[in-house]
Order: sequence, then C-alpha cells, then structure tokens
Amino acid sequence: MTIETCAPAAMPGDGPSELRSESRVEFWRGLVASLPVTAGFTPFALVLGAQAAQKGLSVAETPLMTGLNFAGGSEFAAIGLWTSPPHLLLITAVTLMINSRHLLMGAALTPFLKGLPKRRVLPALFLMCDESWAMALADAKARGTFSLAHYLGVALPMWLAWIAFTALGAMVGPVLGNVETLGFDMAFPAIFLVLLRGMWKSFSAARPWLVSLTVAACGHLLAPGAWTVAAGALAGLLSAWLWAGGEQPEEEGAAA
Amino acid sequence: MISLPVLATILAMAAVTYLTRIGGYLVLRNRTLGPRATAVMEAAPGCVLIAVIAPHFVSPRPADLLALAITFVAALRLPMLAVVPIGIVAAGGLRWLLG
Repeated sequence: MTIETCAPAAMPGDGPSELRSESRVEFWRGLVASLPVTAGFTPFALVLGAQAAQKGLSVAETPLMTGLNFAGGSEFAAIGLWTSPPHLLLITAVTLMINSRHLLMGAALTPFLKGLPKRRVLPALFLMCDESWAMALADAKARGTFSLAHYLGVALPMWLAWIAFTALGAMVGPVLGNVETLGFDMAFPAIFLVLLRGMWKSFSAARPWLVSLTVAACGHLLAPGAWTVAAGALAGLLSAWLWAGGEQPEEEGAAA
Repeated sequence: MISLPVLATILAMAAVTYLTRIGGYLVLRNRTLGPRATAVMEAAPGCVLIAVIAPHFVSPRPADLLALAITFVAALRLPMLAVVPIGIVAAGGLRWLLG
C-alpha cells in the first residue's frame, strides 16, 4: 500500500547517494523478510549435503553443485540418481524437467521487469528460486513495482545459506542422517502455504490451484516422481486457460 | 577433490537450470499478453507451488496429515516466522506420538 517509492520527498539532491541509500533500505527490507525462509532452508540443505556425501561427492563438489545450480528439488533428484561416475545425460534431463517450472516463473515476473535493462535482469535471474521468486512477486504486486535491491536482499541470503549448509551437511553427513524424521521436512509446505496465502485473491482465481493439487497428488499416488510437479502445474494452467476463455462470451453471471 | 565427470555433470545441470531461469523472461520480454495468457500467468505461481507440495497432502502417515492440517490452519493467519516452527514441531511431535 505504500507507494512512496517515487515520492518527491528528496528535494534537489536525488543524486546517486540518495539512490544508493534507498537501495540499501530496500536490500535490508528484503534481507529481513527472507530470514525465516532462509532458516527454513537449512535442514534441507544439511540433509542434501549428507546425502551427497553418502553418494561419494566430495566436500568441494557438493557446494559447487548447490551454488551453481541452486534449485533444491533438482539437486535432491540428481543426488538420488547419482552413481560413480554420474550419468550426465540422465541427470541433466531430470534437472531440466524439474526446473522447467522456472520458465513459467520467469514469465510471470517479466511484466514487472520491463523498466530494468537486460544486463541487470539476466544476472539477477540466476538467484531466482521458488521462494525468492514468490517473495519478489508478492512484493511487486503489493507495492506496484519490482525492487531489484529488495529481490537481492531476499535471494542472496538464501543462496549463501544453501551453499554453506549443503557444504556443512557434506562434512558432518552421517551424523545427522535422521534430521528428516524429526519433522523438519514440514518447513517446506509451511513456507509454501504462507506464500500461497499471500497470493490468494478469490476462490475463482484459486480454482486452478485446486486442479494442480489434485492432479499432482493423484499422480504421486500412482507413480511418485518429478513428473507429478510438471503434470500438476500444467493441468492447473490448462484449467486457467479454459476458465478464462469460457467467461468471456457469457454475460455477467455467477462464476461457479 | 573435484573429478572431471562430476564437474561436467554439475556444469551441465547448472547450464540447463540457468536457461530455465532466463527463458521465460527472454521470450516474453517484448510482448503483451492477451486475457487468456494473462489468466494463465496469474495462476502459474500458485499452481507451481501447490504441485510441489502436493505429495504432503496424500501422505500415508496419519501423523503427517494431521501435522499438515495444523500447519495449514496456522498458515491462514500467522506470519512465516511462526508457521514454520509450528509445522516442524507438529510434524515431529505427532510422529513421535502416533508413529
């Protein structure tokens, strides 16, 4: 609700120093917002690092992967499929399949990136993960404008924590093999449910979510695997496409 | 410390992942979307997020389903900082109680 991003409060001297201090405020705002989410990352990172060590990745290789790839779901899948030596094509194909949702995410963010030059957007998108994207998008929608500094404040701690704690997991690996059973895996749905609440507009706008949930859940019951995420997301999008078309030619009526 | 096949696999993963990150932006950067495409884009975030956590909704363990229900109710009202520990404690506690 605060639209004072472009308020003319800065008198004549809105030079680079003014801009820089505003960016710093935005960066800190993002950093503070990302802390609980970043903290929620750490158990996953420890588990992933521990699993990677079990599969024979070294303490250097593990953070190299998590730092360069920075997409947890695909890393868990890759480690699950890991052999020595790894099957490059299989792992790359699975990574592509799981991360194809980034295409949609980037597309959803694009309308808010129109004012920014490509040379700044392309490096920034390297840090786009589910959580940093969802928080940046929610913030851009609430404030009417995308703040690159806020986004970096959100995403950088996540990236650094992911690298640090997967490395730590690889080092202390076998000791905490039971982290999963303690309930830490519930951090993931907890984070996502809060993000979904932030995106909630109306029941009719959320109907595609229900389709996605149903298809992905049924798919998981039939044959668990990475494909259920893609199938669920696509089914939801298809339903959104159909509903949007069906509502146009009809007169204003009950949308049920 | 870093073997060549491992390095090659990691770099290939990183390359395809980065392409998925910039792909949507590069393709749609200079376009305006029609109403149907807009509806799809509006729904996309939620569809992706809920598809990722869908397996939790059909867990075979009663403790996990109950913990998810508690987390869900918490997520309706409370901030992130409270919901995450509530979810973890609920899952850990109920698994300990119910097995």
